Amino acid sequence: MVLAVGACAPVPTEPASDSPAAEVVRLEQRTALLERQLELAGGKEFYLVLDPAAPDLTLMLRGAQLRRYAVLGLQIGYPRISWFGRRHPRTWQGVTWSNGELDPPRPTDRIVVTAEPVGKGEAEPEPPPMPPTAEELYPVPPRFHIRFSSGLSVEIPPREADASVGRFARLRAWWSAKWGDVVAAMGLRDRDVLRLRVVLSPKDAESLYWSLPPAVRLLVLTGDPATRRASTTGETSVPGTR
Amino acid sequence: MAGAVAGLLLAVVWAGTGYRYEPYVETPVVPWGSERSTERDLKQQTARLRGRERQLLSRLKAAAPQGVYIVIDQTHNRLYLKRDNDILLEAVCSAGSGMVLNEGSGKKRQWVFDTPRGSFEVLSRAENPVWRKPDWAFVEEGEPIPMDLAERFDYGSLGEYALYFGNGYMIHGTLYERLLGRAVSHGCIRVGRDDLRKVWAMAKLGTRIYIY
Repeated sequence: MVLAVGACAPVPTEPASDSPAAEVVRLEQRTALLERQLELAGGKEFYLVLDPAAPDLTLMLRGAQLRRYAVLGLQIGYPRISWFGRRHPRTWQGVTWSNGELDPPRPTDRIVVTAEPVGKGEAEPEPPPMPPTAEELYPVPPRFHIRFSSGLSVEIPPREADASVGRFARLRAWWSAKWGDVVAAMGLRDRDVLRLRVVLSPKDAESLYWSLPPAVRLLVLTGDPATRRASTTGETSVPGTR
Repeated sequence: MAGAVAGLLLAVVWAGTGYRYEPYVETPVVPWGSERSTERDLKQQTARLRGRERQLLSRLKAAAPQGVYIVIDQTHNRLYLKRDNDILLEAVCSAGSGMVLNEGSGKKRQWVFDTPRGSFEVLSRAENPVWRKPDWAFVEEGEPIPMDLAERFDYGSLGEYALYFGNGYMIHGTLYERLLGRAVSHGCIRVGRDDLRKVWAMAKLGTRIYIY
């Protein structure tokens, strides 16, 4: 009977994507996104804007574009245990993710110098040692994450797009990552419930690891690609005028 | 036999545990709730939202730096002079070394030579700046801290120009251009003579400085 009623009921027709109703929804999304961007631009924290349509990842502060990283690949990862997926229905686009920190953390290895007491010795004091560059100081791991509070993490495999990496090195990296993923997927903590796997050029990925400021925030753009690009660059074009 | 089956089962479970990656797909815009609205309502909503959008875009533009601004990448020791998103100048610079200096005697103070991260602005500009050496400069060189203020003045070591951006930090020249590209400063940003002249010509009072 229920089946019969269901079969006789009029099938709701999906409104066309260019219908006035769709336009309202698009504008609602767009204004919500602009509000988030404005909120980020008004804060003191550094923030990343990931635009899947461009595609690029931009480091920003107070509305200024500091560094743009071209995204070569973007995937979404969900944990699964024994082939059963654990999808979390939370919204992740168009919301601000905060307290992003590097994992593994970048080591800080400071040179400590204790000054000679005044007047001790006539000789010219030795110049302080030359601090190493970032490249010399921090080896970039084959895979790193930027973990945000509330469970989102951005995964960056710096050597993914590096054609010079051999098969054995790739296999070793995969093996190590697989074990890490098994442990993370089985974890009960509310972390890593959603991953964005962002492939950058090896140079960009290493640069991001070396220079990512602490407690960074993230906004993943969504909506109509033609209009959201304008908001990233701060241009004032509106839909239909470009 | 049972051991082999258990091992196989474990391998299957292990293979199926981890993360499943899917390509990013844009979520389509699905109208909800508003499909029952009348055409007049929708027109009104669209007009209101377009007005709001214009307002937000204009506020976002106002929040972004206006005109020329400076971006400093202290990890790679680079200074960029930018307008909008165009790079007008890329200069090799020297940022803070991150070194820790402990005072060997006396007050046993400690200084950390970091360049601060964040957003700043040019607060003052000086031609042929004179450096008033702080205590750490004497401690580092193993010299007594002078009582006479005049003995603190150092002429020429900051180059031709200095752009002061607060808390004792400046963008200035250097006598040691061969060290540019290395993080060797005490927190200030050192720039080579030719690049400093260009920065001086374009950066005015209030020019924004972003350091990351």
